[in-house]
Amino acid sequence: MNTELKKALYNLTALADLGQEITSESAFHKKMQAAFYVITGTFLASRGAILSYDRTAKKLETLTSKGFIPADLEQLHPEELAALEKNEPCLVKDVPFLAVVGAEVLVPLWVRDQFIGALLLSGKLTADPYTPEDLELLNIIATQIAITLNHHSLFVDLSDKLEENQRLYEEMRRIYHGTLQAFAAAIDAKDAYTQNHSHRVAKYSAAIARELGWNEHDIEGIYVAGYLHDVGKLAISNELLNKVTPFTPEELAEIRKHSTLSHHIATKINFPWKNVEDMVWHHHERLDGKGYPDALARDALSDGVRIITLADSFDAMTSKRPYREKMDVQTALAELKNCLDSQFDQKIMLVLCRVLDKEIKGELPEPEILPNLDKNSDLTVISALLEGIIEELSATQSAA
Amino acid sequence: MKPAQFSVTSKLVGDAAIIYPKGYLNNLSGESLVNECGIYIGRGITKIVVNFSETDLINSIGISLLLQIMEDLRNIRGTICCTNMSKFLRDTFEMLGLLQHMVVFPVESDAIAYLKAQTT
Repeated sequence: MNTELKKALYNLTALADLGQEITSESAFHKKMQAAFYVITGTFLASRGAILSYDRTAKKLETLTSKGFIPADLEQLHPEELAALEKNEPCLVKDVPFLAVVGAEVLVPLWVRDQFIGALLLSGKLTADPYTPEDLELLNIIATQIAITLNHHSLFVDLSDKLEENQRLYEEMRRIYHGTLQAFAAAIDAKDAYTQNHSHRVAKYSAAIARELGWNEHDIEGIYVAGYLHDVGKLAISNELLNKVTPFTPEELAEIRKHSTLSHHIATKINFPWKNVEDMVWHHHERLDGKGYPDALARDALSDGVRIITLADSFDAMTSKRPYREKMDVQTALAELKNCLDSQFDQKIMLVLCRVLDKEIKGELPEPEILPNLDKNSDLTVISALLEGIIEELSATQSAA
Repeated sequence: MKPAQFSVTSKLVGDAAIIYPKGYLNNLSGESLVNECGIYIGRGITKIVVNFSETDLINSIGISLLLQIMEDLRNIRGTICCTNMSKFLRDTFEMLGLLQHMVVFPVESDAIAYLKAQTT
């Protein structure tokens, strides 16, 4: 095989090596370093550099270089390079403004109408001149390098935009939750006895949903439903909400409108979570169909509705009301247990007990229910009670 | 079959460093060859023998790395000897015109004898 043929084969292999390196899964800088070695190894250049054009800063950045003095590379002006033929190698001695000490060939890198950077090479170690064939090969290589740089630049731009979008999304989410909290505060402010009730129902419901294995998106949805479940009370008079004496049938009918009003308000909001409207609408339904507003029963009630219903009642029982003192936790749990199957769901009750038991035993990193309960509660007694309920309900659930 | 990971060992014989690259010299792991030589050059060693008995193949990346060692030695007026080269390696170096810039011996002991004679 003659030398020319061998050289042609070597160059072809180098192109294949370049293709392999620039399409590898390596990190960008490793990829460019390997590509740079392929180029310097192909042309026997002892010095070289790949420069990338930063469109924002309007300057050239050295991606990789060998043998050149950084200050010399900084003398290159992107505007002057961009005026040269796209991806066409030019001999530095022919273009005085390209003079970089030690550089012999410079290739401006372009993709379509976009100036991407530049490739510089010194003379060959063998002192042989660059042949027209060398320059043709360099033109092909430059095109490949330009495409790689452009892809990376697009990827970086996309990553930056994605990061910015995520930041904006998080900011909007914070604002969204802030608005919901303001709503909840407005609801709770109407009734001196239900301060932070919406906030607690949101937390309890989320804690139960998490224990049930819901995904984070759906947990956030029930959290929001918890915040808004009583939003319809904004349309009920303060006098009625704060009435100490028993309600007349008319007053009771009026106050019961709040869940439908909550639904009307909630439907005006385009929630990213499913069933929020359903959960706020039916949080006063019962399993036996004796609840309101629609007297739905059993299968018509979603898990979300059953969770909010239980969380709402548990908080109502353990909070002071105008017409009664607050119940202690043991009494509230016993009351909820008495109403299983008629009003509340066994499975959800079991999960509530498990969460509370875990919180008492310090098994959950961020307790959601326990911090809101009476500080004077005897946790040993509550824990024993919970263990009993859990055992009993687990057995019933297994049998079912 | 995936080629074995490239590795380098070395030893000092008199005032010459003997470098043993092992594996296909075709990717960034070959930088260890440059680093190994750089350590000796940094210690003032100007004579380097690269024994290629366990490196049959080289590509443009390997050539680039070898150029770097040759350039570094040239800058300190040092000598690079290459020994135990496969036919492929020798043909590649010859085709690229690199043989004029290194001293080639069939075996390592010849290179050591040559460098020793240079000292005396």
